[in-house]
Amino acid sequence: MLDKPASALRLRERLLDSERLMEETGCYDGIKELTLRNQDPLKFETLHTKLRAYCVSAREMARRISASPGVREVGEMVVAIYTPEGDAIALSNGIMVHVHTMSRFIKWMIKNNYEENPRIREGDIFANNDAFIGTVQVPDVMDVVPIFHDGTLVGWAGAVCHELEAGGITPGGDVCLAQERFTEGLFVCAEKIGENDEIRRDYVIRCERNLRMPIYWVLDEKAKVASCIDMRESVKQLISEIGLDYWMTVSKEFIEEGRRAQLARTRQLTVPGIYRGHTFYGHVTAGKPGFQLLGDPDWLYNIPIEMEITTDGKITMDFEGTQPWGYHSMNCTPAGMDGGMFVTLTQHMNFEGLVNDGAWMATELKLPHGTWTNPDNEMVATATSWALLLPAYGVFQRLLSRSFVARGFVEEAFVGQVNSPMIEMGGESQYGTPFGMAHFECAAAGSGALAIKDGLDTAYVGWNPESDMGNIEVWEQSMPMVYIGRSIVPNSGGAGKYRGGCSFVSTWLINKTSHLRLHTSEHSSRVFDNGGMCGGYPAPTCQKHRAVRNSNIHELAARGEPLAHAPGIDPHVSDYEKNFGGDHVVVEGPYITSPHKSGDIFSHSYNGGGGYGDVLERDPIKTAWDVENGFLTREAADQVFGIVLKDDEDGYPLADIDATVERRTAMRKQRLAKAIPVSDWIAAERGRVEKADFAPEVKKMYASAIKLSSRFTKDFSDFWNVDVRSIFTPGAKP
Amino acid sequence: MTSYSKEVIRDLAAGQLPWPQTRRIMSAYKDDDRFFKMVAVYQDRVAWKDPILLPVSDHLFICQSGDERITRCECGHSFGDYRKNWKLNAAINVRNTEQSLREIYPNSDLPDPEWMEIREFICPQCGTLHEVEAAAPGYPLVHDFEPDLEGFYREWLGKPLEGS
Repeated sequence: MLDKPASALRLRERLLDSERLMEETGCYDGIKELTLRNQDPLKFETLHTKLRAYCVSAREMARRISASPGVREVGEMVVAIYTPEGDAIALSNGIMVHVHTMSRFIKWMIKNNYEENPRIREGDIFANNDAFIGTVQVPDVMDVVPIFHDGTLVGWAGAVCHELEAGGITPGGDVCLAQERFTEGLFVCAEKIGENDEIRRDYVIRCERNLRMPIYWVLDEKAKVASCIDMRESVKQLISEIGLDYWMTVSKEFIEEGRRAQLARTRQLTVPGIYRGHTFYGHVTAGKPGFQLLGDPDWLYNIPIEMEITTDGKITMDFEGTQPWGYHSMNCTPAGMDGGMFVTLTQHMNFEGLVNDGAWMATELKLPHGTWTNPDNEMVATATSWALLLPAYGVFQRLLSRSFVARGFVEEAFVGQVNSPMIEMGGESQYGTPFGMAHFECAAAGSGALAIKDGLDTAYVGWNPESDMGNIEVWEQSMPMVYIGRSIVPNSGGAGKYRGGCSFVSTWLINKTSHLRLHTSEHSSRVFDNGGMCGGYPAPTCQKHRAVRNSNIHELAARGEPLAHAPGIDPHVSDYEKNFGGDHVVVEGPYITSPHKSGDIFSHSYNGGGGYGDVLERDPIKTAWDVENGFLTREAADQVFGIVLKDDEDGYPLADIDATVERRTAMRKQRLAKAIPVSDWIAAERGRVEKADFAPEVKKMYASAIKLSSRFTKDFSDFWNVDVRSIFTPGAKP
Repeated sequence: MTSYSKEVIRDLAAGQLPWPQTRRIMSAYKDDDRFFKMVAVYQDRVAWKDPILLPVSDHLFICQSGDERITRCECGHSFGDYRKNWKLNAAINVRNTEQSLREIYPNSDLPDPEWMEIREFICPQCGTLHEVEAAAPGYPLVHDFEPDLEGFYREWLGKPLEGS
């Protein structure tokens, strides 16, 4: 039990009281006036800057303790400081998605009477990676420590690292083959894992015996605990300087200020109204080894989102009409959905002022019960939630961006993040030892375009704004594969006046191993899931995997003959097929297959972002530069953008402006000649809807959405002027 | 208060402002007079006289046209009442075959046209491509944006629209 509670009330009652005050007053903890801020604004701002500095400094220190290239190289870590009730006051940079998921974890412990048992004491360390308690997925392991000052609980320090190996049915962190909770890996469910600032030995033993690569997880635990202790001691020192009463009040005012700032920012940057968008995700696993037939092996999900901005500045996101949870690894909990919201807001709207849980409090998520966003079964797997979270919050970014365009802040409009697949691996390392790892170079995909310029090439992912692909040499130390290529994928950004950022493709020679399991997660299939905006096209769909088993690369090298370093630009025959002998493999969707061995070749492409604006307005000179530097092909420049290129005297592409104007005039005419009135199209398509003349997965998607949502059913019926319920769910009760 | 000249806002909107200057604008406190300045920039760009009330896309504007408020293309084409989905009055080109998708994605793997199609919404007058939807066949068209125009002008801009 607490030696001295934070107030006269016990912690659980204090938390419930805080929630009641928020409900009654609309203000965080019932704070209607920012007294300390008004008394001394400079002191107020300085203190928050100090807290943020504690967080940033603690995270950087911790990254040097970690053994994981994910944390050291790519920065897959975030730390934050919380109130006693578990609301974030200040946070570091990094994977900010977890600032609010940790908040849920702390509140969960409080509401589940951890004060009584297992008790909350100075020096305790609590850990969690259960998404139904508060994280996104199993590899996101979070540690929190209470902060006491003279025996009073005055806050919490927390840290999250994304682990590269989680001990699931498939190796790596994002366990793509998990179809229910029991195959996701090692769960730590809001567990006290240490006392007196020391991690318990029995907990470490559990990690060592249940993970393929425990060094990553265990050293990350030490890194996180070190960062928490560092923040805790800094906060205690600060309290000794400013006094406990001041701290207890100012820490709450910071959050209320954050809430008000978010509302004000919305009123400043956006336009009130209702915004709508959607995206899709396709999954193809039929016939792949390991998948249990618990549900359909191939499926299509729709993710419609309606965002409302009210005149008081509140943003509400509603996922009604989306699909039910399933026996796959991509379900998400409300904690994960919160996290997606938080990390998006921090990038788009909270780029100044106080950034903390107050921003989250100024928003609302409507997550229909029973859908993948809010499963009504806590046994479901959430091991690769990002697969659906990323395209969903990419839509959120586009909806926000439309509001920025409408308000005139075109420089803030950003087509958004992308869903990009990542590689998980395990087996025998190049040192002859067991290993497992997630390859995090995926943290540098292409971004969506902006409304004023092209997207970022190989430099963005939504979940971590501090994007980095990591050095090749560092990755090579950690896996039995060596790079034979890492290059830009031409045309991988969606076309538009401003193109989406391009992604890259890596090609590896599997080396010094007889058993390498390679899998990919977050791999959407058969759809576009990275949309464009205002006339821009979506980025290309996820590329297929290309591998060569039993390749002749060593013979080619011995003879000094050229190798292929990338798949090339012929969609029908890759450069691997042209250059290498061996057994060529092309796999659609998640890569689940038998192990590889030395001499095999494997390649993996990441995704680019969507485009912005009409392609026929793209700058020809910039396009010539793009072609010269491998971001676009000549074929795309001519065929997609209508830009005529000729060669200069050195053979470099040069835009022919007059010919381009002429070609584009002709293309606009062709466009109009081919297009038909939307009313004609609707009349023609209605017959197809009436006959449900669609692929089985499409029909199943409609049937599932109709069963879950009366609003989707009404909108769907009203649009086509047919009774979709009788078409797609015949015999079902309304 | 931060403020920029109309010329700077014009160049920003056109993507022609030098990147260092753009970057400074992105990092600075926002200019509270932006909305009306941007509207003035757009008003200069169009040949028609109807006052622009709200930009809703790269070349689409809600404007006051007599007693009506309509969505208008930069070329002048009217898509009708701003409260209705302008796409219903557009021209459409659907890409739902490998051949038609390949025209836009010449070097990439393609989605399955049975699962996904591209819908291009085009101004029937000038041929501008205003919006692209990627959707499953049969999926209803999206009404992207229903602004609370009157609430925006009244409560956020402090300049209520006439007649509201």
